[in-house]
Amino acid sequence: MVSHDVLIIGAGLAGMRAAIEAARQGLNAAIVTKVHPVRSHSVAAQGGINAAIGENDSWDAHAFDTVKGSDYLGDQDAIEIMCKEAPKDILELDSMGAIFSRDEKGRIAQRPFGGAGFPRTCFAADRTGHALLHLLYEQVVKCGIGIYEEWFVLSIVIEDEKVCGIIAMDIRTGILHRLQAKAIILATGGYGRVYRNSTNALINTGDGMNLALDAGAPLMDMEFVQFHPTTLKTTGILVTEGARGEGAYLLNSIGQRFMSKYAPNALELASRDVVSRAEQQEIEEGRGIDGCVLLDLRHLGEEKIKERLPQIRSLAIDFEGIDPVKEPIPIKPGAHYSMGGIKTDLSGATKVKGLFAAGECACVSVHGANRLGGNSLLDTIVFGRRAGISASIYAKENNIKEFPDYQLKETAHSIAVITNRRQGERGSVIRDELANIMIKNVGVFRDKERLFAAKEKIKELKERYNHVYLEDKGDIFNTELLETIELKNLLTIAECIVLGAINRTESRGAHFRLDYPKRDDETWLKHTMFYKKDDEIKIDYKDVAITKHKPMERKY
Amino acid sequence: MKYAYYPGCASQTITKEYDSTTKKVCKILGIELLEMTDANCCGAGLITDYNYELSITLNARIFAIAEKMGLDIMTICSTCLMIMSRANKELKEFPKLLKKVNKTLEKAGLHYSGNVKVTHFLWTLSQDYGLDKLKAMVKKPLKDMKIAPYYGCHILRPSNALGFDDPEKPVSLERLIETLGGDAMPNEGKTRCCGFQIVLVTQETAVDMIGNRLKEAKDAGGKCMVSPCPLCHINLDSYQREAEKKTHQKFEMPVFHLSQIVGLALGMSIDELELGRHLVSPENAITTVVGD
Amino acid sequence: MTVKGCEPFLQAYDIDVNNGDTILDALHKIKDVQDGTLSFRRSCRSAICGSCAVNINGAPKLACKTQILPEFEKHGRLTIEPLSNFPVIKDLVVDFDSFWEKVHKIEPYLTPKESSAKTKDKDGFWIIKKQDALKIDDVSNCIFCGSCYSACNTMAVDNQFIGPAALAKVWRFAGDVREGNNKKRLAKVSEDHGIWSCSRCVECTQVCPKDVKPLIAIEDTRAKAIKAGIKDNAGVRHVESMVDSVKRTGLLDEATMTVKTLGFMRSLGIIPLGLKMEFHGKMPLPNLFKSIKGIEEVKKIYEEVEKKGSRVKAGTHPKDGWGS
Repeated sequence: MVSHDVLIIGAGLAGMRAAIEAARQGLNAAIVTKVHPVRSHSVAAQGGINAAIGENDSWDAHAFDTVKGSDYLGDQDAIEIMCKEAPKDILELDSMGAIFSRDEKGRIAQRPFGGAGFPRTCFAADRTGHALLHLLYEQVVKCGIGIYEEWFVLSIVIEDEKVCGIIAMDIRTGILHRLQAKAIILATGGYGRVYRNSTNALINTGDGMNLALDAGAPLMDMEFVQFHPTTLKTTGILVTEGARGEGAYLLNSIGQRFMSKYAPNALELASRDVVSRAEQQEIEEGRGIDGCVLLDLRHLGEEKIKERLPQIRSLAIDFEGIDPVKEPIPIKPGAHYSMGGIKTDLSGATKVKGLFAAGECACVSVHGANRLGGNSLLDTIVFGRRAGISASIYAKENNIKEFPDYQLKETAHSIAVITNRRQGERGSVIRDELANIMIKNVGVFRDKERLFAAKEKIKELKERYNHVYLEDKGDIFNTELLETIELKNLLTIAECIVLGAINRTESRGAHFRLDYPKRDDETWLKHTMFYKKDDEIKIDYKDVAITKHKPMERKY
Repeated sequence: MKYAYYPGCASQTITKEYDSTTKKVCKILGIELLEMTDANCCGAGLITDYNYELSITLNARIFAIAEKMGLDIMTICSTCLMIMSRANKELKEFPKLLKKVNKTLEKAGLHYSGNVKVTHFLWTLSQDYGLDKLKAMVKKPLKDMKIAPYYGCHILRPSNALGFDDPEKPVSLERLIETLGGDAMPNEGKTRCCGFQIVLVTQETAVDMIGNRLKEAKDAGGKCMVSPCPLCHINLDSYQREAEKKTHQKFEMPVFHLSQIVGLALGMSIDELELGRHLVSPENAITTVVGD
Repeated sequence: MTVKGCEPFLQAYDIDVNNGDTILDALHKIKDVQDGTLSFRRSCRSAICGSCAVNINGAPKLACKTQILPEFEKHGRLTIEPLSNFPVIKDLVVDFDSFWEKVHKIEPYLTPKESSAKTKDKDGFWIIKKQDALKIDDVSNCIFCGSCYSACNTMAVDNQFIGPAALAKVWRFAGDVREGNNKKRLAKVSEDHGIWSCSRCVECTQVCPKDVKPLIAIEDTRAKAIKAGIKDNAGVRHVESMVDSVKRTGLLDEATMTVKTLGFMRSLGIIPLGLKMEFHGKMPLPNLFKSIKGIEEVKKIYEEVEKKGSRVKAGTHPKDGWGS
């Protein structure tokens, strides 16, 4: 059987950063990924990556902005680490050859971002994720790290409460393989496809979070889903916060810059939860245009738009038929980012021995109830690196474990059950119903009634999932089978989001309850923990780490 | 209708017949050509491979000459067309570049203000002259002549510097052939490459390309091909035997210059069309129309 | 459906289309409702991940950013096929293995040159002037979708050709002011099936959905290789004979070019062809004594440009608009 010291599942920024670190430690590291690395969703990140490298900026100020942005749910010890280590990580990316945009003097330029008190976001025009993902792929090639490309991980195998490897399907052949590993790092990204209106790639189905749950590692804070304020009307494609960072306005149907009502100081650059709610309120109170508000870039001028926001311009032209040089872009909030994820400690370790996690699929938690723009790429790089180091240390101290035979049979059986079904329902129907109920009932504004209705619906869909059948019975590149397995993952994630949201009878960050519109620190300054026992989700709570910053009222 | 006529280097030597027949055809049609006898070579992209600034400045010299003549440029070579169009577009779009280039030109006593247009004989016929007018001039329609149109690369791509035909769906050659009374044979290789630029570098690769283009024309039922570019002509005609040897098939595919099929329809004789200069004789392909 | 060992065939589907629907929307509609076996790759559906390039009516395009109606109106049909120049795995899914091998072969990563106080600031960050960054701005847009590789004419007949995507990646580093490994990389891509095998058909630059302009990258790389003195190949001899010929006569001297490019011995090998061309009056005779009237102007231009030794870079300016 093939074995590796460290196996990384997922080849986005966090996964590749972790793999590079493991390779640097002299270990045999390999990446398993369901798409080629450069197809990973990190590629779609646009606006930038935060680091206090400016003359008058400080990591402390960055940390405070992040804590405040998180609505005090972020763990401050983790936030401090991230903000303190950020400049060094940017320096390293720069040394690797990152193409960050420069200022007049040729130094790395920084732009203002939402919820930040300082222009702290380094960027590569409006394709920062693309620049960094390709950069790390180059480094992975340089390090000679093995990649199991287009392999889909079906389960993490645990023996004596320690990881011993994975079972994965080679999508090209449909063959199941066992890979042994001393340590495993999950870096599979988010689950945005749970929602109908989402900025996320179609591959973002929360696979790693489900693998962790099944392996016995809890998830945390799943009810906190970030809705990005600016996504394109028809496709939900992201329009970077960098657009507002460069000075774009948000307008309602009567031409008002409505953010002055909601965030008189920060205006368009309030944190994302605040802006998304403001937009939603404008739309619901009848000051929207066809379910949208307008993002106006025209006053920035053609030259600046072309230099700083070229991708946004192409996206608006290609997907919405609108040239932002000439017209404002209709936009609306859309599901964007998961603040919650696999609970890890500061080193990326989960509750399961040998199992680590980093990036969007993980929850350290540095984002708390609301993530600041520019902090997600930073999270992937800082905690990807840290997970790579700690997994390597673990791998050095532990041996390869025996791989139990029954696991492969069980996994193969669970697939065969699906492929052998001769009739039933197409999975796509269930997927669409799930995405619709989630955006309708578990979106920007929530309440008890809608949440319970969603809970019931998910229960129904889970039952119907047991009767899904496939038209594609082949082995080779059976994407219908993959989508069906992903659907199961989406259902579990949706259930966690809804259960967490039902319980949390307060409003904090991205979780806003119309029936409980106030933040309630007394009862709810705590993390929600999700466990899976006998196929049921169980919930528990955990304290927030508070070091310097006592919770205060949050105003922008 | 008057142009600064730029035949390009190939048609002053190897494909002289393209140059001379173009002049004859234009005389019949009343298109006045003032040959740019003092113009230099466009560099064919090879000078771009050496030094971009040298290439663009040499092209600017061509434009400066035309500007002095007060005429737009018409060429009969697709590569000259593409190289000049690309240079001209850049000079027109970037005032800084034009300024820099003029600084050099002025040392040679020249200046370019950016007011020249570059066109190709095919475009002239299709648009400026007009197909209706051309149709009226046809004396001997190319009846039953099955002609495979071959565009090649540089009259189509990059479309934002050329912009006449849509490279995904060009039509001007087909329309011209039909105007002349011939049958345009649709063939999938018509916008693919003949390999001229590498025939002296990686001949094997180029010859494979030539073989494919000839085969595609033949498979489509073409009895002959027509090319608007002398360089494509050199490859498809002069290297046809090499392609036959390498691919072990017989093509016997005559290739006409653009001017020759027009001339044929205008009633010019085989001698006037200088068809004897082709390596693959086109006479079999046209016996049906030149009866007298 | 194309399955290994089966003859490929086209299958027809009828779907309802809304204004604005993309090819990717259509593929999803087919897969979700009509035919679950249909396989294709997709991820970001916003033209940045490079997964979904397919041939649409014969031209490689991203399914996610190509709208159905304009395509249909233009061609009167909608034929969606896998990319060319790649082996097919199933339906629209092709095998990218050799594509990636070629990308890896060019050592696609920065090997930083030695830094100094001029190249790095006090905190250790590179100092990069805007105009230097612009040189690699276009090529850094590449998403490895394979469209250029699919459209490439050289690739169609020489599957060892490294291809436009990998060559654009070469310029990504060769054009980077921080790179210290240029000589080696340029020497490598000057070998057979490298930069000099490109036939300048402009397909790559025409079809690129991200305006990377691989052909300009190839031209820039060629110039850089020549400047670095990597000249021992037919491609460079071809270029240099042209440069000399134009300098000497103002025109292209086909005969000298043939001899120079192929080398004297090899040019003998084309004598049969030459003899035949001679018979038809086509054999180019060395042009040694004939030159254009204004040759002094041409010589002056050479002198001025070569004196400066600098290069104006329009090709990599973001606003130059060369390409599709």
